[in-house]
Amino acid sequence: MRTDFLQPVDGLHLPEEYRALLRPGESEAGNNGTVHRLPRFFFEIGSWEEAHEIRLAPHFTLSELMLVDCREARVLLNQFPHYVPCAILLLARFLEDFRREVDTPVFISANGGYRSPTHQIGGAKSIHAWGTAANIYRVGDTFLSDAKSIGKYGSVAASLSPAVSVRPFGHEKGQTSDHLHIDLGFVSLTPRECSEAS
Amino acid sequence: MFGKNCTEALGVLLSDPGSQIWHWANLRLANGHVKSTSMSSVDTSNGLNEELEALALKNRARAIGVALHDLETGFRFSLRGDRWFHAASTIKVAILLAVFRAADEGRFQLDDSLHVRNRFFSAADGSLFRVTQDRDATPELYASIGRTMKISALAHAMICGSSNLAANLLLDFVGVEYARTVLREAKVDGVELRRGVEDHGAHERGINNEATADGLLSLLSALRGDFLTADSKREVIRILLEQRFNSMIPAGLPAHATVAHKTGEISTACHDIGIVYLPEREPYVTAILTEFDPEREGRRETVAAISQAIYRSLLGTESKTNEN
Repeated sequence: MRTDFLQPVDGLHLPEEYRALLRPGESEAGNNGTVHRLPRFFFEIGSWEEAHEIRLAPHFTLSELMLVDCREARVLLNQFPHYVPCAILLLARFLEDFRREVDTPVFISANGGYRSPTHQIGGAKSIHAWGTAANIYRVGDTFLSDAKSIGKYGSVAASLSPAVSVRPFGHEKGQTSDHLHIDLGFVSLTPRECSEAS
Repeated sequence: MFGKNCTEALGVLLSDPGSQIWHWANLRLANGHVKSTSMSSVDTSNGLNEELEALALKNRARAIGVALHDLETGFRFSLRGDRWFHAASTIKVAILLAVFRAADEGRFQLDDSLHVRNRFFSAADGSLFRVTQDRDATPELYASIGRTMKISALAHAMICGSSNLAANLLLDFVGVEYARTVLREAKVDGVELRRGVEDHGAHERGINNEATADGLLSLLSALRGDFLTADSKREVIRILLEQRFNSMIPAGLPAHATVAHKTGEISTACHDIGIVYLPEREPYVTAILTEFDPEREGRRETVAAISQAIYRSLLGTESKTNEN
């Protein structure tokens, strides 16, 4: 497992252009009235090659958890460095547990790992902006696109920890129809070498 | 020299800026000027009218709609050009126009990546629907579900392979309302884009994509005109030139003709619309729409025969077709 590339940075110290997009530590009200602080500490990723090389867990590279499409802000899409919340380590750890349980490769969709608060899908209200959510579209040879497969693997994921939330099959708000959404809640991680004093 | 079925060879030629076909295409694109209408246009029109009516009768077409604009002479022809048909996959040309217009406006770049997912919402009631792989002419696209593909590659698949998945992804991305706005801005009347393809719920409620031959002709004219930037126009024509389904308009033409076109077929409709490039003259633009009883055979052959009749009427010669 290669994680020595990971360089934590305080988002509050990033250039204005990035702070405007990542909104480190800012409060965001959810749709149900709950308020959460967006992640403040990030890993700085220098290139796609780096992201491909960094293994956050034995079966998950960083690149798998940060692949987005053109609905992402242009600066965060095309130019490096990229920034991903430090809590992505916890997500990778959980996905590894899930993979061990299902004993077959687990595939995360594009836009299915970390998305910035400015991504056009969900924006800052999406838990994907915390780097603690994953959309699994395929387990082994099974595409998760029906109630049966999403229900089956959702149960497996939920059984691993009470901290895990899965969404049921459906196409209403809070449901999914072509992937399994799992998340660990609004978790932020402060690396031990970083200070939360502003 | 260049058979319409030789798509591989055509692709190679098109990638070569020095190729003769590309030269013709560029020449025609660059030249908005048309020669004056022939004195015999009334005769041509009457003769073509009779021939097409006879073809429709002979092949038991329920209806045909044909529109033609010859850029060599300025001759225009329309046989029931204002009759509405189910657009079938010809609607993908309207989506293509919207995608390239959006790129020209800086909304995204054509080499941007888009998440490929098979999940769409019906224009009827917002219910979920998916397109079926076995009905899609580009099944290889389904291997990318969950991943990303470049917008340019999706546009290519939507036209050259008539991919329903690519069409719905692109329309979902730019939005139906935006695409309709683009059609209005391009002054394309006679093309009603209302939904994605394979939206059976919408179809059951009569919400369909519809077009007239005149409308589709104006859509092709918009692609050729100044509505898009020169780069986009060149790319759009290149994509249409790489069409993989060549059993209709091209099948009625001599081997040296090249056609930038898009077909469309559903149970009752069988269409082909395109720009016909001939080395010796300016191109002509045509839209051939037909409607048959379901399961009627010989539909594509009818469109090819109409294409052949148009060619003969414009060039006054018997064509040796590519039909095989």
